[in-house]
Amino acid sequence: MSNEQLAMGNDQGLLVGRLVRLVAVNSEKDAEAIARWDVDSEYMRQLSSRAQLPSQAKKIKEYIEKEQIDDPRTIAFAVRTLADDRMIGFVAFDGIDWPHSAAFVAIGIGDPAYRGNGYGTDAMRVMLRYGFQELNLYRVQLNTFSYNERAVKSYLKAGFVSEGLQRGMLLRDGQRWDYIYMGLLRDEWLTLTNEP
Amino acid sequence: MDILTGRLTRLTAVNADTDAELIARGSCDSQFWRLAHTDPALPVLPKYVKQQLEERSLDLQGFAIRTLTDDRLIGYIGLYTIFWPQREAIMGINIGERDFWGKGYGTDALRVLLRFGFEELNLRRVSLSFLEGNERAMRSYEKCGFRLEGRERNAWAYDGRRWDEIYMGLLREEWQETNNEQ
Repeated sequence: MSNEQLAMGNDQGLLVGRLVRLVAVNSEKDAEAIARWDVDSEYMRQLSSRAQLPSQAKKIKEYIEKEQIDDPRTIAFAVRTLADDRMIGFVAFDGIDWPHSAAFVAIGIGDPAYRGNGYGTDAMRVMLRYGFQELNLYRVQLNTFSYNERAVKSYLKAGFVSEGLQRGMLLRDGQRWDYIYMGLLRDEWLTLTNEP
Repeated sequence: MDILTGRLTRLTAVNADTDAELIARGSCDSQFWRLAHTDPALPVLPKYVKQQLEERSLDLQGFAIRTLTDDRLIGYIGLYTIFWPQREAIMGINIGERDFWGKGYGTDALRVLLRFGFEELNLRRVSLSFLEGNERAMRSYEKCGFRLEGRERNAWAYDGRRWDEIYMGLLREEWQETNNEQ
Protein backbone atom coordinates (compact mmCIF):
# COMPACT_ATOMS: atom_id res chain seq x y z
CA MET A 1 0.00 0.00 0.00
CA SER A 2 1.36 3.43 -0.91
CA ASN A 3 1.98 6.15 1.64
CA GLU A 4 -0.79 8.13 0.04
CA GLN A 5 -3.31 5.33 0.44
CA LEU A 6 -2.25 4.92 4.06
CA ALA A 7 -2.58 8.64 4.72
CA MET A 8 -5.97 8.66 3.02
CA GLY A 9 -7.38 6.61 5.83
CA ASN A 10 -7.00 2.90 5.91
CA ASP A 11 -7.30 3.18 9.68
CA GLN A 12 -10.06 1.09 11.20
CA GLY A 13 -9.79 2.38 14.74
CA LEU A 14 -9.04 5.56 16.57
CA LEU A 15 -9.68 8.03 13.76
CA VAL A 16 -12.89 6.51 12.41
CA GLY A 17 -16.35 7.61 13.50
CA ARG A 18 -19.83 6.58 12.41
CA LEU A 19 -20.08 8.94 9.45
CA VAL A 20 -16.59 10.27 8.87
CA ARG A 21 -12.95 9.55 9.32
CA LEU A 22 -10.07 11.90 9.99
CA VAL A 23 -7.19 11.71 7.54
CA ALA A 24 -4.02 13.63 6.81
CA VAL A 25 -4.57 16.94 5.07
CA ASN A 26 -3.35 16.59 1.51
CA SER A 27 -1.83 19.99 0.81
CA GLU A 28 -1.97 19.49 -2.97
CA LYS A 29 -5.60 18.47 -3.32
CA ASP A 30 -7.28 19.88 -0.22
CA ALA A 31 -6.00 23.44 -0.61
CA GLU A 32 -8.27 23.82 -3.66
CA ALA A 33 -11.37 22.84 -1.67
CA ILE A 34 -10.42 25.07 1.25
CA ALA A 35 -9.89 28.02 -1.12
CA ARG A 36 -13.41 27.39 -2.51
CA TRP A 37 -14.97 27.27 0.96
CA ASP A 38 -13.16 30.44 1.99
CA VAL A 39 -15.20 32.50 -0.47
CA ASP A 40 -18.43 31.25 1.16
CA SER A 41 -19.36 34.11 3.50
CA GLU A 42 -21.83 32.08 5.52
CA TYR A 43 -19.18 29.45 6.22
CA MET A 44 -16.48 31.99 7.02
CA ARG A 45 -18.69 33.89 9.48
CA GLN A 46 -19.38 30.69 11.37
CA LEU A 47 -15.71 29.82 11.40
CA SER A 48 -14.01 33.06 12.29
CA SER A 49 -14.66 36.50 13.74
CA ARG A 50 -12.17 38.05 11.36
CA ALA A 51 -13.22 39.95 8.28
CA GLN A 52 -13.46 37.59 5.35
CA LEU A 53 -10.31 37.60 3.25
CA PRO A 54 -10.15 34.91 0.58
CA SER A 55 -6.72 33.49 -0.12
CA GLN A 56 -5.20 31.79 -3.11
CA ALA A 57 -5.03 27.99 -3.05
CA LYS A 58 -1.26 28.36 -3.39
CA LYS A 59 -1.01 30.32 -0.13
CA ILE A 60 -3.27 27.82 1.64
CA LYS A 61 -1.06 25.00 0.42
CA GLU A 62 2.03 26.74 1.82
CA TYR A 63 0.26 27.33 5.13
CA ILE A 64 -0.82 23.69 5.43
CA GLU A 65 2.69 22.48 4.74
CA LYS A 66 4.24 24.86 7.23
CA GLU A 67 1.66 24.01 9.88
CA GLN A 68 1.93 20.26 9.47
CA ILE A 69 5.69 20.07 9.36
CA ASP A 70 7.00 22.90 11.48
CA ASP A 71 4.46 23.56 14.19
CA PRO A 72 4.38 21.06 17.08
CA ARG A 73 1.47 23.03 18.54
CA THR A 74 -0.91 22.20 15.68
CA ILE A 75 -2.42 18.88 14.61
CA ALA A 76 -4.86 19.13 11.71
CA PHE A 77 -6.97 16.55 9.88
CA ALA A 78 -9.18 16.55 6.83
CA VAL A 79 -12.69 15.18 7.44
CA ARG A 80 -13.81 12.59 4.87
CA THR A 81 -17.12 10.78 4.65
CA LEU A 82 -17.04 7.04 5.24
CA ALA A 83 -19.68 6.47 2.55
CA ASP A 84 -17.88 7.98 -0.45
CA ASP A 85 -14.54 9.31 0.84
CA ARG A 86 -15.52 12.89 0.09
CA MET A 87 -13.50 15.68 1.73
CA ILE A 88 -16.11 17.79 3.51
CA GLY A 89 -14.17 19.79 6.08
CA PHE A 90 -11.32 19.98 8.54
CA VAL A 91 -10.77 19.64 12.25
CA ALA A 92 -7.65 20.76 14.12
CA PHE A 93 -6.07 21.21 17.50
CA ASP A 94 -4.31 24.51 17.32
CA GLY A 95 -2.26 26.26 19.95
CA ILE A 96 -1.71 23.05 21.89
CA ASP A 97 -0.26 24.15 25.22
CA TRP A 98 1.71 21.00 25.91
CA PRO A 99 3.08 21.70 29.40
CA HIS A 100 -0.49 22.28 30.57
CA SER A 101 -2.09 19.59 28.34
CA ALA A 102 -4.70 22.01 27.02
CA ALA A 103 -5.65 22.68 23.41
CA PHE A 104 -7.99 24.72 21.28
CA VAL A 105 -10.05 22.78 18.79
CA ALA A 106 -11.37 24.22 15.53
CA ILE A 107 -13.73 22.57 13.08
CA GLY A 108 -15.32 23.57 9.81
CA ILE A 109 -17.68 21.67 7.50
CA GLY A 110 -16.97 23.46 4.23
CA ASP A 111 -19.30 21.45 2.05
CA PRO A 112 -22.80 22.93 2.68
CA ALA A 113 -24.53 19.66 1.76
CA TYR A 114 -23.06 18.07 4.88
CA ARG A 115 -24.05 20.73 7.42
CA GLY A 116 -26.76 19.97 9.95
CA ASN A 117 -26.61 16.22 9.33
CA GLY A 118 -24.38 15.09 12.18
CA TYR A 119 -21.13 14.96 10.22
CA GLY A 120 -19.49 17.76 12.19
CA THR A 121 -20.57 16.33 15.54
CA ASP A 122 -19.23 12.93 14.50
CA ALA A 123 -15.90 14.44 13.45
CA MET A 124 -15.68 16.34 16.75
CA ARG A 125 -16.34 13.16 18.73
CA VAL A 126 -13.53 11.37 16.89
CA MET A 127 -11.22 14.35 17.45
CA LEU A 128 -12.00 14.41 21.18
CA ARG A 129 -11.25 10.70 21.50
CA TYR A 130 -7.95 11.30 19.72
CA GLY A 131 -7.17 14.27 21.97
CA PHE A 132 -8.00 12.62 25.27
CA GLN A 133 -6.87 9.05 24.58
CA GLU A 134 -3.93 9.51 22.22
CA LEU A 135 -2.56 12.96 23.07
CA ASN A 136 -3.50 12.65 26.76
CA LEU A 137 -4.96 16.15 26.85
CA TYR A 138 -6.61 17.34 30.05
CA ARG A 139 -8.70 20.10 28.53
CA VAL A 140 -10.09 21.01 25.10
CA GLN A 141 -11.55 24.44 24.53
CA LEU A 142 -13.07 26.46 21.74
CA ASN A 143 -14.65 29.80 20.92
CA THR A 144 -17.81 30.32 18.97
CA PHE A 145 -20.34 33.07 18.28
CA SER A 146 -23.90 33.44 19.54
CA TYR A 147 -25.29 33.59 15.99
CA ASN A 148 -23.82 30.17 15.19
CA GLU A 149 -26.57 28.18 16.87
CA ARG A 150 -25.89 25.00 14.92
CA ALA A 151 -22.30 24.96 16.18
CA VAL A 152 -23.29 25.58 19.80
CA LYS A 153 -25.81 22.73 19.62
CA SER A 154 -23.20 20.40 18.15
CA TYR A 155 -20.59 21.31 20.80
CA LEU A 156 -23.09 20.75 23.62
CA LYS A 157 -23.91 17.34 22.11
CA ALA A 158 -20.22 16.46 22.08
CA GLY A 159 -20.02 17.34 25.78
CA PHE A 160 -18.67 20.90 25.82
CA VAL A 161 -19.77 23.16 28.65
CA SER A 162 -20.34 26.88 28.22
CA GLU A 163 -17.72 28.63 30.34
CA GLY A 164 -18.48 32.27 29.72
CA LEU A 165 -19.01 34.89 27.12
CA GLN A 166 -17.91 38.32 26.03
CA ARG A 167 -21.11 40.25 25.51
CA GLY A 168 -21.65 42.08 22.27
CA MET A 169 -18.10 41.56 21.07
CA LEU A 170 -19.09 40.94 17.46
CA LEU A 171 -20.83 43.28 15.05
CA ARG A 172 -22.46 41.51 12.11
CA ASP A 173 -24.96 43.19 9.79
CA GLY A 174 -25.63 45.95 12.28
CA GLN A 175 -26.34 43.64 15.18
CA ARG A 176 -24.26 42.81 18.25
CA TRP A 177 -23.46 39.19 19.12
CA ASP A 178 -21.67 37.45 22.01
CA TYR A 179 -18.34 35.66 21.82
CA ILE A 180 -18.83 32.30 23.58
CA TYR A 181 -16.18 30.26 25.41
CA MET A 182 -16.70 26.52 25.78
CA GLY A 183 -14.53 23.85 27.34
CA LEU A 184 -14.46 20.13 28.04
CA LEU A 185 -12.35 18.40 30.70
CA ARG A 186 -10.97 14.91 30.43
CA ASP A 187 -12.99 13.56 33.39
CA GLU A 188 -16.24 14.95 32.02
CA TRP A 189 -15.54 13.38 28.66
CA LEU A 190 -14.65 9.99 30.21
CA THR A 191 -17.93 9.97 32.16
CA LEU A 192 -19.88 11.01 29.08
CA THR A 193 -18.43 8.39 26.76
CA ASN A 194 -17.83 5.50 29.19
CA GLU A 195 -14.29 5.29 27.87
CA PRO A 196 -11.76 3.49 30.08
CA MET B 1 14.16 32.29 43.20
CA ASP B 2 14.84 32.04 39.51
CA ILE B 3 13.86 28.61 38.28
CA LEU B 4 16.91 28.44 35.99
CA THR B 5 19.50 29.34 38.67
CA GLY B 6 21.25 26.79 40.86
CA ARG B 7 23.95 27.01 43.54
CA LEU B 8 26.94 27.03 41.20
CA THR B 9 25.47 27.53 37.74
CA ARG B 10 22.62 29.01 35.81
CA LEU B 11 21.06 27.95 32.55
CA THR B 12 20.81 30.57 29.83
CA ALA B 13 19.97 30.77 26.16
CA VAL B 14 22.62 29.44 23.81
CA ASN B 15 24.18 32.36 22.00
CA ALA B 16 25.12 31.19 18.52
CA ASP B 17 27.55 34.09 18.06
CA THR B 18 29.65 33.60 21.19
CA ASP B 19 29.06 30.01 22.30
CA ALA B 20 29.93 28.05 19.17
CA GLU B 21 33.62 28.24 20.02
CA LEU B 22 33.33 25.94 23.09
CA ILE B 23 31.50 23.28 21.10
CA ALA B 24 34.06 23.50 18.32
CA ARG B 25 36.87 23.18 20.89
CA GLY B 26 35.11 20.17 22.45
CA SER B 27 34.95 18.53 19.04
CA CYS B 28 38.76 18.62 18.93
CA ASP B 29 39.03 16.86 22.34
CA SER B 30 38.41 13.23 21.49
CA GLN B 31 38.37 12.08 25.11
CA PHE B 32 35.64 14.59 25.91
CA TRP B 33 33.81 13.66 22.74
CA ARG B 34 33.63 10.01 23.74
CA LEU B 35 32.13 10.93 27.08
CA ALA B 36 29.60 13.31 25.60
CA HIS B 37 28.59 11.76 22.28
CA THR B 38 28.04 8.41 20.68
CA ASP B 39 28.78 9.39 17.09
CA PRO B 40 32.43 9.28 15.94
CA ALA B 41 34.70 12.10 17.09
CA LEU B 42 34.87 14.67 14.31
CA PRO B 43 36.55 18.05 14.72
CA VAL B 44 34.42 20.87 13.31
CA LEU B 45 34.96 24.59 12.81
CA PRO B 46 33.14 27.18 14.97
CA LYS B 47 31.53 28.52 11.79
CA TYR B 48 29.80 25.20 11.17
CA VAL B 49 28.65 24.93 14.79
CA LYS B 50 27.24 28.46 14.67
CA GLN B 51 25.25 27.60 11.57
CA GLN B 52 23.84 24.50 13.28
CA LEU B 53 22.86 26.45 16.39
CA GLU B 54 21.04 29.01 14.31
CA GLU B 55 19.09 26.40 12.39
CA ARG B 56 18.10 24.46 15.49
CA SER B 57 14.38 24.11 16.00
CA LEU B 58 12.92 26.33 18.71
CA ASP B 59 11.01 23.60 20.50
CA LEU B 60 14.22 21.95 21.64
CA GLN B 61 14.84 23.06 25.19
CA GLY B 62 18.59 23.54 25.00
CA PHE B 63 20.52 25.73 27.43
CA ALA B 64 24.05 26.98 27.93
CA ILE B 65 25.49 26.28 31.40
CA ARG B 66 27.21 29.34 32.90
CA THR B 67 28.96 29.72 36.26
CA LEU B 68 27.30 32.01 38.78
CA THR B 69 30.62 33.54 39.90
CA ASP B 70 31.93 34.77 36.55
CA ASP B 71 29.24 33.95 33.99
CA ARG B 72 31.62 31.66 32.16
CA LEU B 73 30.23 29.20 29.61
CA ILE B 74 31.24 25.69 30.71
CA GLY B 75 28.89 23.37 28.83
CA TYR B 76 25.47 22.55 27.50
CA ILE B 77 22.39 20.84 28.85
CA GLY B 78 18.91 20.27 27.54
CA LEU B 79 15.72 18.27 27.31
CA TYR B 80 16.54 17.67 23.70
CA THR B 81 13.68 15.40 22.73
CA ILE B 82 10.27 15.77 24.30
CA PHE B 83 7.44 13.30 23.70
CA TRP B 84 4.65 15.62 24.72
CA PRO B 85 1.66 13.29 24.77
CA GLN B 86 3.65 11.04 27.14
CA ARG B 87 5.23 14.00 28.98
CA GLU B 88 8.60 12.36 28.70
CA ALA B 89 11.90 13.99 27.80
CA ILE B 90 15.31 12.68 26.89
CA MET B 91 18.02 14.85 28.39
CA GLY B 92 21.66 15.40 27.60
CA ILE B 93 24.49 17.26 29.28
CA ASN B 94 28.13 17.93 28.66
CA ILE B 95 30.71 20.03 30.43
CA GLY B 96 33.19 21.01 27.75
CA GLU B 97 35.50 22.97 30.07
CA ARG B 98 37.75 20.37 31.73
CA ASP B 99 38.57 22.67 34.67
CA PHE B 100 34.98 22.23 35.80
CA TRP B 101 34.88 18.43 35.79
CA GLY B 102 34.32 16.56 39.06
CA LYS B 103 33.47 19.66 41.10
CA GLY B 104 29.69 19.50 41.20
CA TYR B 105 28.97 21.94 38.37
CA GLY B 106 27.37 19.30 36.16
CA THR B 107 25.27 17.92 39.01
CA ASP B 108 24.12 21.42 39.89
CA ALA B 109 23.11 22.18 36.30
CA LEU B 110 21.36 18.81 36.16
CA ARG B 111 19.30 19.65 39.27
CA VAL B 112 18.28 22.96 37.74
CA LEU B 113 17.26 21.27 34.48
CA LEU B 114 15.20 18.67 36.34
CA ARG B 115 13.40 21.38 38.30
CA PHE B 116 12.65 23.12 35.01
CA GLY B 117 11.42 19.89 33.43
CA PHE B 118 9.22 18.72 36.29
CA GLU B 119 7.95 22.07 37.58
CA GLU B 120 7.79 24.26 34.50
CA LEU B 121 7.08 21.71 31.76
CA ASN B 122 5.14 19.35 34.07
CA LEU B 123 6.99 16.29 32.77
CA ARG B 124 6.29 12.84 34.18
CA ARG B 125 9.58 11.25 33.27
CA VAL B 126 13.11 12.20 32.22
CA SER B 127 15.32 9.63 30.50
CA LEU B 128 18.97 9.56 29.50
CA SER B 129 21.62 7.21 28.22
CA PHE B 130 25.41 7.13 28.12
CA LEU B 131 28.23 4.75 27.30
CA GLU B 132 29.47 2.26 29.88
CA GLY B 133 32.60 3.38 31.66
CA ASN B 134 31.51 6.97 32.20
CA GLU B 135 31.48 6.54 35.99
CA ARG B 136 31.53 10.26 36.74
CA ALA B 137 28.36 10.80 34.75
CA MET B 138 26.65 7.83 36.37
CA ARG B 139 27.46 9.05 39.90
CA SER B 140 26.09 12.46 39.06
CA TYR B 141 22.86 11.00 37.65
CA GLU B 142 22.44 8.77 40.72
CA LYS B 143 22.92 11.76 43.02
CA CYS B 144 20.00 13.43 41.24
CA GLY B 145 17.82 10.37 41.71
CA PHE B 146 18.10 8.61 38.34
CA ARG B 147 17.75 4.83 38.46
CA LEU B 148 19.41 2.26 36.25
CA GLU B 149 16.83 0.85 33.85
CA GLY B 150 18.77 -1.25 31.42
CA ARG B 151 21.60 -1.59 29.01
CA GLU B 152 21.82 -2.06 25.29
CA ARG B 153 24.61 -4.59 24.99
CA ASN B 154 27.46 -3.97 22.54
CA ALA B 155 25.69 -0.86 21.30
CA TRP B 156 28.78 1.08 20.19
CA ALA B 157 32.20 0.23 18.88
CA TYR B 158 35.56 1.94 19.17
CA ASP B 159 39.13 1.04 20.19
CA GLY B 160 38.64 -2.48 18.94
CA ARG B 161 35.86 -3.49 21.31
CA ARG B 162 32.19 -2.90 21.82
CA TRP B 163 30.58 -0.92 24.60
CA ASP B 164 27.15 -1.07 26.21
CA GLU B 165 24.81 1.90 26.27
CA ILE B 166 23.40 2.43 29.76
CA TYR B 167 19.83 3.70 30.20
CA MET B 168 18.61 5.56 33.27
CA GLY B 169 15.31 7.20 34.11
CA LEU B 170 13.74 9.42 36.73
CA LEU B 171 10.01 9.56 37.43
CA ARG B 172 8.24 12.64 38.70
CA GLU B 173 7.35 11.03 42.06
CA GLU B 174 10.95 9.89 42.59
CA TRP B 175 12.22 13.36 41.81
CA GLN B 176 9.82 14.88 44.33
CA GLU B 177 11.05 12.44 47.01
CA THR B 178 14.72 13.10 46.22
CA ASN B 179 14.03 16.81 46.32
CA ASN B 180 12.29 16.69 49.69
CA GLU B 181 15.22 14.86 51.25
CA GLN B 182 17.68 17.53 50.18
